[in-house]
Amino acid sequence: MNSIDTSVLSPRSRSRHLISTLLANPSIAIGGALVLLVVLAAALAPLITHWDPVEQDLLNTLQAPSAAHWFGTDDYGRDIFSRVIYGARITLFEVSLSVAISMVIGIPLGIISGLAGRKMDALIMWVMDIIFAFPGIVLAILIVSVLGEGLTNMLIAISLFSIPVYARLSRNLTLGLKNMEYIEAAHMLGVRYPRIITHYILRNSIGPLIVQSTLTAGAVVLSAASLSFLGLGVQPPMPEWGTMMSDGRNFLGLNIYVSLFPGLAILITVLGFNVLGDGLRDVMDKRL
Amino acid sequence: MKAYVVKKVLSLPLIIFGVSIIVFIAIRALPGDPARLMAGPEAPQEAVDSMRVRLGLDQPLPLQYVRFAAEALHGNLGLSLQSQRPVMTEISERLPYTLSLAALAYLLAIAIGVPAGMTGAIYRQRIPDQIVMVLTIAGASIANFWLALLAMNYFAVELGWLPLLGADSWKNYIMPTVTLAILPMAMIARMTRSSMLDVLSQDYIRTAKAKGLSSASINWKHALRNALIPIVTIVALNFGSLIGGAVVTESVFNWPGIGRLLVDSVRYRDYPVIQGVTLVAVTGVVLMNLVGEILIGLLNPKIRFD
Amino acid sequence: MESKNKHFKVLTLAGCLLASMASTSVFASQLVIMQNEPPRSMDPGNQTATFTGTVLDPMYEGLTRLGDDGKIIPALALSWTSDDSGLNWTFTLRPNVKFHDGTPFNADAVVENFQRHLNTQRGLAGSGKIRTFIQDVKKKDELTVTFQLKKINPAFLTVLASGPGLMVSPKADKAGSINNKADGTGPYKLVQYKSGEYVLEQKNPDYWGKSSGPDEIKWTWSSEPSVMNMALQSGQVDIINPVPPQFAGMLKNNANVNLKQSPGAAVFWVDLNTQSKALSDVRVRQALNLATDQQALVKAIMFGYAQPANSALAPVDPNYDKALHDYPYDLQKAKDLLKAAGYADGFPMSIAVQAPDARTAQVLQGMWSKIGVKLNVRQMESGVWTKAAFADGKEKAAQGTDAVLASWSSGLYGSDLQLRPLYHTSSFAPGGANLGFFSDKQTDDLIDTAASTLDDAKRKDLYFQAQKQISGLAPQVLLFYQDDLYAARKNISGVVMQPGGQIVVRDAVKQ
Repeated sequence: MNSIDTSVLSPRSRSRHLISTLLANPSIAIGGALVLLVVLAAALAPLITHWDPVEQDLLNTLQAPSAAHWFGTDDYGRDIFSRVIYGARITLFEVSLSVAISMVIGIPLGIISGLAGRKMDALIMWVMDIIFAFPGIVLAILIVSVLGEGLTNMLIAISLFSIPVYARLSRNLTLGLKNMEYIEAAHMLGVRYPRIITHYILRNSIGPLIVQSTLTAGAVVLSAASLSFLGLGVQPPMPEWGTMMSDGRNFLGLNIYVSLFPGLAILITVLGFNVLGDGLRDVMDKRL
Repeated sequence: MKAYVVKKVLSLPLIIFGVSIIVFIAIRALPGDPARLMAGPEAPQEAVDSMRVRLGLDQPLPLQYVRFAAEALHGNLGLSLQSQRPVMTEISERLPYTLSLAALAYLLAIAIGVPAGMTGAIYRQRIPDQIVMVLTIAGASIANFWLALLAMNYFAVELGWLPLLGADSWKNYIMPTVTLAILPMAMIARMTRSSMLDVLSQDYIRTAKAKGLSSASINWKHALRNALIPIVTIVALNFGSLIGGAVVTESVFNWPGIGRLLVDSVRYRDYPVIQGVTLVAVTGVVLMNLVGEILIGLLNPKIRFD
Repeated sequence: MESKNKHFKVLTLAGCLLASMASTSVFASQLVIMQNEPPRSMDPGNQTATFTGTVLDPMYEGLTRLGDDGKIIPALALSWTSDDSGLNWTFTLRPNVKFHDGTPFNADAVVENFQRHLNTQRGLAGSGKIRTFIQDVKKKDELTVTFQLKKINPAFLTVLASGPGLMVSPKADKAGSINNKADGTGPYKLVQYKSGEYVLEQKNPDYWGKSSGPDEIKWTWSSEPSVMNMALQSGQVDIINPVPPQFAGMLKNNANVNLKQSPGAAVFWVDLNTQSKALSDVRVRQALNLATDQQALVKAIMFGYAQPANSALAPVDPNYDKALHDYPYDLQKAKDLLKAAGYADGFPMSIAVQAPDARTAQVLQGMWSKIGVKLNVRQMESGVWTKAAFADGKEKAAQGTDAVLASWSSGLYGSDLQLRPLYHTSSFAPGGANLGFFSDKQTDDLIDTAASTLDDAKRKDLYFQAQKQISGLAPQVLLFYQDDLYAARKNISGVVMQPGGQIVVRDAVKQ
């Protein structure tokens, strides 16, 4: 398909070429657009809606969607649309922090595991396997029961159970790269490990790691929403999508909008990340 | 093959040992007096003191762990703070509900996922395939408790077709089963599709076609055998994600299984139960993973030479 | 694959048949009631929860009983007399009565029942009511007991009719099994208490009296309003109590359901920890009261099925002061008071609530934020909440519990049992229900004097003064009086509601 030898192009056109290749893939385009939608909603929240997400209006509770309240009001009279939009901020915060922590801890662990001797590798992978054996929610529940509920503790728990994925991935990538000739050559020439890691290993691992991060992002959103829904995560009145949906349980048959719209927001966000990740993986597979 | 199985089985105790350490440490890491926490906030002082002796809190940590592990292996997981009944009893009463739900969910996932995946592979890139692709990725992106709430709202309350409460009749199984089945269904469909695509392009299919076997028998007989790999993978190797899904599903539907037990016990700070359910659930997951890895090794010789 | 499916279908079918046979006993009538919390104990003397009292009512009896019209009638005692001082009573017991386990009911049993409450070592949850005014209980002969009271209590006979006054089998109490296995003299006995699921009671064939109720009574519970609503609408249960107010309208419109509403006796309030720095200042407490829009609260939380609370006593209480109205909704005045107290920028505080009251706390969070008070809502499950709510001053300070959202219903026990446990200095938690450690000599004196005043008019005046005094010092933020709301399927009759939410089903009829 694209048989241009990109190493011949100048760096600027190389990035432009990369971007156009990426965008040509429909999954990346659609997924990227959805994620961008969420990011924009979060960033531009005050411009999109004038309603305060935590202000109560007790005389206008549980209203259906109308011109004044596009998504209706919840059981405290708060505007649902505004809460969904501001909720995007919480969601993106959850995703960024959690993925960042998992990567910052998991990737170095994986690289060390890949470069170090067999015993160290076995030890690190054993710990990772143990964490990995726990279903994410179960581990998160265990941690929350010890640390207490709340956004911070929930994020600690979620970051923790995503670490093994990055550790294993970067370990495998490192193992694969370790034996490549040019790394052995660099090592013989006296290039020391830190430089080997940053220059060769990380640079060549970025692709798969980015793909993994988009897939983890989707999982984080669902896990955080589930935990908050169960009352173990974000506490009211923060407009987290999962917390909002748990309100709806008390009004089944009376008002479904309280749960409908946050759930839709979750779907769009997770779908965006998953489709984007799929597309990135396709593009990368073709380039290999 | 034997070496593969032996290696896998030997790694099992190490993993379970590690899991038990994490569970043990987590509970000990709580602020406050562990004896008081395990005896319950309303227990009289004598109960707390005897709990202290029982837990061996005056002894060094490793000895405490040995005691804990020994008791657990004998099935003694302590007493629930809430009900004062053995944790093992609470778990064993509820386990059938979770397992029956899981089994039904898997059956449903296979019954729909496999044909869907195969359809996608056969009509590759054409409209049926596109539909399958969209549905599978949507299925993997949906919060299953959202669907559960919508279903409960319409089918239970507004239309009155299905019951909202309990687990007595087959009708009660419908909504939770469908809710729990969605994610495995999507994953099975995906994997079946790609597995079938691999197989369809392989030589022996071309040879079979050349030999004149009809398209139908090629599709069903040869390729179906290879569809077992994704099924085993998702059912056994991804059992952890099903347990995670069961925790949330059971909470939404008030299903009397171990998932809801776990969530309720956090709210009550019922640490013996939290500890016990986590141990049992994770052990189950690890065992299923082991079974899955052995089966995969049997089905796909390539994987054995790790 | 196919045979697996077939096997499974057969098994499921068999399972369903068995299940359906088990759940509908063809010949026995079974009344199913759903409440919103599990029973706290099978021992009536070791709990104070209204919705546990309902479950235990068919299985236990006291010396006296509340008749359907609310008047006292004989139960395990045939008759009683007192001397002129009103402090010495003699009760003649009913003969030939047995507890469910066969232990005979006699004077020894009565004495043991009351001694276990008078015994300060035991620590039973319901002993408070007994200890405040009963000095001693003695056996005179096999079927006669005498009571010596510390002081006069107009509600004495009512106290004997429920809670710690109910007679439990001394044998079961000694064995320690009474907490999990009910053992009384009532028309129903416990068949099964499936923890977390249900309580099943069956007619007691050895009952001394007549019972016209159903063959079996089954109690179940769900903390989810939607589930309670659907359970009744679909006919899975016969009665729900209390009705989640948001669904009251839907139930009213259902032709198969009867919704019953009556003014309640339960007062809902926020108890303020007077030992907390900010809350020790009466102006701050008053400000919180002024910043609470009770009307909006009643509409949003109770959907109109409650009355704003203006006093510590409920309207059903004969000594209730209707005219008292110290805190109309006034945000400006609230802010001024806070400023005068030195909190112009507000302050943070935390409140402990149970799940059913979480929404109320969140509404308060929104309301009080308007005067700068940052309310941190800590939702806890029943056991954890009880511990936090009844913690002593030191413990509350350590946990940072500044307020507790709770309710109290003394039902028909009279004003003393509504005011004393909540506002008297001697009722500090954990011994009593004065959760916020409110202490005021004048209030104590008013309560004590009123309790021993026999003249109705004088007593009413004293209670009016007490209500005014308490209101001024604002140890609580009063919220509302919750209506008693229960709903039953159309074919159910014979159910009685005692003020406070205690539903009596022992004589219910299911057609």
